[in-house]
Amino acid sequence: MSSLTEDQIRQIAKQAVEQLGDHATIENIEKVVHEAVQRLDGPVTKQNEQKSNPLPHQVKKGDRVIVTAFGTNKIGILAGMTGALAQMNCNVIDLSQKILQEFFTIMLLVDISQSSLHFDKIKEKLIETGAGFDLKVIVQHEQIFKTMHRV
Amino acid sequence: MQIELAEILETIRMTEVEHFDIRTVTMGINLKDCSSDNLESLKQNIYEKVTRTAAEHVKTAEMIESDYGISIANKRVSITPLALVADGFYPEDFVEIAQVLDKAADNLGIDYLGGYSALVQKGFSKGDLSLIKSIPETLATTKHICSSINVATTKAGINMDAVYLMGQIIKETAAKTADQDGIGCAKLVVFANAPEDNPFIAGAFHGVSEPDIVVNVGISGPGVILRAVQEAPHHDFSSLAEKIKAMAFKITRAGEFVGRKVAEIQNIPFGIVDISLAPTPMPGDSIADILKAMGLEDVGAAGTTAALALLNDSVKRGGLMASSHVGGMSGAFIPISEDQGFISAAEKGHITLEKMEAMTSVCSVGIDMVAVAGDTSAEVIAGLIADECAIGVANSKTTAVRVIPVPGKGIGEAADYGGLLGVAPVMAISKLNNDQFIKRGGRIPAPVKGINN
Repeated sequence: MSSLTEDQIRQIAKQAVEQLGDHATIENIEKVVHEAVQRLDGPVTKQNEQKSNPLPHQVKKGDRVIVTAFGTNKIGILAGMTGALAQMNCNVIDLSQKILQEFFTIMLLVDISQSSLHFDKIKEKLIETGAGFDLKVIVQHEQIFKTMHRV
Repeated sequence: MQIELAEILETIRMTEVEHFDIRTVTMGINLKDCSSDNLESLKQNIYEKVTRTAAEHVKTAEMIESDYGISIANKRVSITPLALVADGFYPEDFVEIAQVLDKAADNLGIDYLGGYSALVQKGFSKGDLSLIKSIPETLATTKHICSSINVATTKAGINMDAVYLMGQIIKETAAKTADQDGIGCAKLVVFANAPEDNPFIAGAFHGVSEPDIVVNVGISGPGVILRAVQEAPHHDFSSLAEKIKAMAFKITRAGEFVGRKVAEIQNIPFGIVDISLAPTPMPGDSIADILKAMGLEDVGAAGTTAALALLNDSVKRGGLMASSHVGGMSGAFIPISEDQGFISAAEKGHITLEKMEAMTSVCSVGIDMVAVAGDTSAEVIAGLIADECAIGVANSKTTAVRVIPVPGKGIGEAADYGGLLGVAPVMAISKLNNDQFIKRGGRIPAPVKGINN
């Protein structure tokens, strides 16, 4: 009921007023409103159901995310991160790394469209994996970088 | 086109080190359709419309933050100037409506709700006067409500009756919140040429010509611009302007992108990006630091106004290219208490109210978050408002006054409001008598340049 449009509510109210006139007791109103809701088109209700679904995350099939990890260099960092990605069925498309003194940075461009996991879960898992190597891990949709750095 | 590692690292440095964030994503909500001649119905209509319309606002913004790794510092709501929606009601009724809005804000999980406003540049309606008279009580009894009153425009001139009244209201508001150093005044702005699509608190309201619902975005990022300036220590002004412009482009693009996403998911129109540089009291997130990095010993030095003008204009150049709709204030903010560099300059006496007044002629917004002594008279405060209005009206720009006469405090003391509002050192203001001038009443006519058809 909460997902009815304003127009629909107005229609229902109008029908109730027309039918009941002076006989508007609580029971009568409930009955008429119930009938009016029943008469509303099926597809509209379906559309409303879709609307009440949880908010869609912005990462959709075919979209790519950028994983950046920083920390001190240790054995197994790259294997750890790519291993975690492989476990989640995420495809590494590109990889860069940079070492400044002992400070280590890796950047992975990852296609997560084959993974059965949700973006949030993938992000959580990567942050957790990184923490095991004392790495700070940031996972972001690729689009934000394109937006900021390309005209 | 592949994104390069250096570009990724720059973005991450901006967000992680230089405090770049989207300052606010503000949902504007029209309340004109909530009107009723029955106070209870009006309150119910307003509560329902605000809570229903913005129900997903905070959640959506948080999801965008997570997906793109750009923090959105504040999620806010602005409403149609309440004096229009509740015209005909009395001051005590307005206080009740404000409390309902405060409850709605609590329910939505937003920090501030703007639009406890009236537009009185030419005169007062009954609702305008009721709302203005209710401001001290409202700001003392609510947590989230912000108020703004527009008292002048380039087209209408300056309503000096409103200017004097606001001087008195500011004093009363300070007195009502005396136990917290007059914090009520931090939620009250007096405007000239107020923009109708401003997403920034305390001056946000949802203008009468806006659509039913809209999302507006305010960017931040003084820390990022500071780095651009620091990286150009010996550049001449042309190339310094270029550096700032390029950086402003990037942060505005991020702002526009985030705003559009928040609007798209909630299926409501996207309005504007406000390309104001908004500081916070965090070290390094300061407009004053940018001006100092240009080569000034401190803000207040000769050259400060020119430095601010350069900064303001360069940010606009980059921002305009980056966004399809720029609006709101769109100029650097110089709120004393919200900017570590200005706080320290005010403490040392390097920056004065008079210098700030000059600076407001080249940036937005005006004398902002300035504390003055608690014994400053309503007439002196009205005089300060009148001066700012004159700058705004004569230059066809927005100016504003958000001043706090801190009860019981004087020069050498400070008011600590905590959080984003920061610390406001009490600044000196002229105590020369202006009673006769302020009490003349009436309107200062619109300037000749306002008659431009």
